[in-house]
This record gives sequence, C-alpha cells and structure tokens, in this order.
Amino acid sequence: MAAKPIWNYIPPALIALNTLLVAENWYLRPQSAGSWFVVLLLLIGMTLALVLVSRQPKDEAARRAAGGSVRRGIVTAGLILVISLGAKLAVALGAVQYGDIALRATLAIGGAFLAVIGNAIPKTLTPSAALHCDPAKLQAVKRLAGWIWALAGLAVAIAWLTLPINLAEAMSFLLLPSAILVTVWQAVWLRRAKPSAL
Amino acid sequence: MFKALSDPTRRRVLQLLRKRPMSAGELSDHFAVSKPTMSAHFSVLQNAGLIEAEKNGRTIIYRLKMSVLEEALLGFAHTVGWDIKAQGGARRAALKSGTKLRPLKQEG
Repeated sequence: MAAKPIWNYIPPALIALNTLLVAENWYLRPQSAGSWFVVLLLLIGMTLALVLVSRQPKDEAARRAAGGSVRRGIVTAGLILVISLGAKLAVALGAVQYGDIALRATLAIGGAFLAVIGNAIPKTLTPSAALHCDPAKLQAVKRLAGWIWALAGLAVAIAWLTLPINLAEAMSFLLLPSAILVTVWQAVWLRRAKPSAL
Repeated sequence: MFKALSDPTRRRVLQLLRKRPMSAGELSDHFAVSKPTMSAHFSVLQNAGLIEAEKNGRTIIYRLKMSVLEEALLGFAHTVGWDIKAQGGARRAALKSGTKLRPLKQEG
C-alpha cells in the first residue's frame, strides 16, 4: 500500500489540536460552555466531512477533486479556529495581557480570508458552453466582485489589527454589507442582461 | 508570471481581454506581428495561468484568467513601463517560432 502524502494528515491534526484547545478553554472558562459546545459541534461536523470524503466509493478523479476541496476548507477553518482558540487560551492563562487579542486575531484572519477568496474569484472560469449569459458581462462582474472582496477583506483585516475596536467594528459594519449589496446587485444585473453572441 | 507580464505585447493582449473574451484572430488583428509569434505569446500567457484557451468550433477563444493580485501587477507593470527585457523576450519568442520580428502597430 502506498504511503499517504503528508497533506492528508494536516486536516485531522488540526481537528485534534482544536479539540484539545476547546477542552482546555472549557476547563478554564466553564461560564462560556455554550460557545465551546458550538465549536465542538463544528469540529464534529468537520470530522464527519473528512470521513465522508475519504470513503466515497465514486470514480477516483471526482473523489479526489471533492476530497481536495473539502480538505482545503477544513484546513482553512482549522487554522482560523486554532489562532482564535489559542489566543483565548493565552488570555485565560494570563500569558497575554490584552483581553481583546482573540477577537482581533479572529476578525483580522476572517478579513484576510475574504481577501484571499476575493483575489481568486476572477480566476474561476465556467466553460462557455455552460453559460446562460454574456461571457463579457460575466467576466466584468467577476472582476468587480474580486476587487470588491479583496479590498474589503484587506481593509477589514488591517482595521482589526490597527484601529481601536469601536472604529474597526464600524468599518466592518460599513464595508462588509456594502460589498454584499454590490455583489448581489451585480448578480441581479447579470441575470437580467440579455445574452449576446461573442 | 513576471516573465509573462514583462512583454508589452503580452500586456496589451491582457488589456484587450479585460474587455471581453476574444478569438485568436481578433487579438492578432491588433498587432503587426506574425501569427506564430502571437501563438508564442499566447502560449507564454497560458503557461503563466493568466489566460485560458477554449475551442469553439474551428476558432480558439481566449479568456482572461487573472486574479486580483495579478491584475494589480499588470497595472503596475503597465504604469512603470516594465519592459526592460521586452524586446529580448519577444525576439526569443520570434526566434523560437522562426519568424522575423516587426515593430508594434501604433494605435489610437
């Protein structure tokens, strides 16, 4: 039997590490049991998803593609949770003096994640045969959405790393709903636009 | 990717594709360069993952496949006139395809 690549061990390792962090946090701060329970449920969901993609007996190429995308999702979520739970634990243990560091770290990583997703939006292409709209308009919408999410994500990440909490909050509440509104408006415009020949 | 963006012809191709997907012929019409040279440029852009080719009957349609960061780099390269190695790059592409290099057509 061929040895599994190291990449296959990262998602379960992250889930295990997060479980340990949740247990430690729960022990130190039992008053937030509800929150820890929700994170635990999330980790159980991630484990189930990992087991399902590993056992799906479909054709090999489709299974690998689906498995790869689920694993990437688990690694991203796992890393966000590790940093967030790690920061909470550091505060609970008194290793870090700033009480808001966990919140800042979580939201800055969330912003960076949005920026990474936004950066990749224009690179996702649909085969022309499968399109029901004008390819030029779809390209324009994807480019705009990419720029909006990349810049909004970056701004949110920088705001949570540098600005006072109330300002960072205000900026996030202004930027993120605006980005959603523009994206939805563009999607509606694209749906209404009549397809034209290339 | 930097090699792909260092050539003004390839940058112009990317700028044209920003408007809409275009066929190889449509793109070639904008340049006073032979078809094999253009093919060499297209293949450099494709290898860099900046464009994607799709066969539509007998024509090849090229579509932009640039991330936000790559597009920002393109804008930067265009602004600072990042073409130190451009002539060399185009010459190498032309030599590879065995054609003579002609100057770019002046537009606008």
